[in-house]
Amino acid sequence: MFPKLDPILHSELRLAVMSILAGADEADFTYLKKQTGATSGNLSVQIDKLTTAGYITVEKGFKGKMPRTTCKITPAGQEAFGNYVDALKEYLSAGK
Amino acid sequence: MEQNKEMTAQESLRLITESFNKSRKDILRDSAKYFILWGTLLTVTSLVIYLLWHLTGKPQWNFLWFAMPVVGYLLAAWSGKYNKAIPQNEVSKMLSGVWSVFGAFSVTLSAIAVFLVPMHVTLIIVIIMGLAECISGVLLKNWPIIIAGFLLGVGGAVFAMLVTDEAQLLIFTLGGVLLLVTGLIMKLQYR
Repeated sequence: MFPKLDPILHSELRLAVMSILAGADEADFTYLKKQTGATSGNLSVQIDKLTTAGYITVEKGFKGKMPRTTCKITPAGQEAFGNYVDALKEYLSAGK
Repeated sequence: MEQNKEMTAQESLRLITESFNKSRKDILRDSAKYFILWGTLLTVTSLVIYLLWHLTGKPQWNFLWFAMPVVGYLLAAWSGKYNKAIPQNEVSKMLSGVWSVFGAFSVTLSAIAVFLVPMHVTLIIVIIMGLAECISGVLLKNWPIIIAGFLLGVGGAVFAMLVTDEAQLLIFTLGGVLLLVTGLIMKLQYR
């Protein structure tokens, strides 16, 4: 029996955001937008979903006079991401 | 990446690997600019002091060393203000920590050597500089940087004991060039 893939993570844009945040302390909204090539609107919606799931936290502040939105992965997000990768590996090893 | 399409397991893993690696490269490539900045500053400062000391015969030019961290810090802060919001990861934070500690040791020991207790400050600084460079190589998993740091620390220590005060400045010129080359290697490695 295969583990069920987390539907929150099993989406291209949300998974890309989580992969970036898993390897960095935190990342700016502008950096995530550039890296994923997503529009601001779509990225905001997906970030909201990840925040609601408790996988990331979002902090709004300023860098100098410019507004800045910073995203950070939570311990729950790290665990979910690890479980998701393990599940993927199981799927792939079963397919060989 | 506009569509929230369903992905196969292989596509998901590929996306994770690509996003993770791309972000890691961005972060470490961004760290390279600080090696280039401090390497250039160290090379220029050591050469200027060497020339002024050589031409005038006055060792007081060594006080210019204390201006270097101020100029470097201002330049680093200025470049950080205009960066493209590149995040940090564990490796970039450790690199920053190692070199900040090196800077703190160097400035403090130099001040103590000048104002309180005379000591062979070139010898001490070149050893900890070589050590910091070696640790940077270990963190970056880059053998040429590890070896260069080892040679700078050990070779520089021997050189510092063999030559006169004035010529010892050239050890720091070499150290500056080494930092500069490390930054360029990082730029290439994480292109």
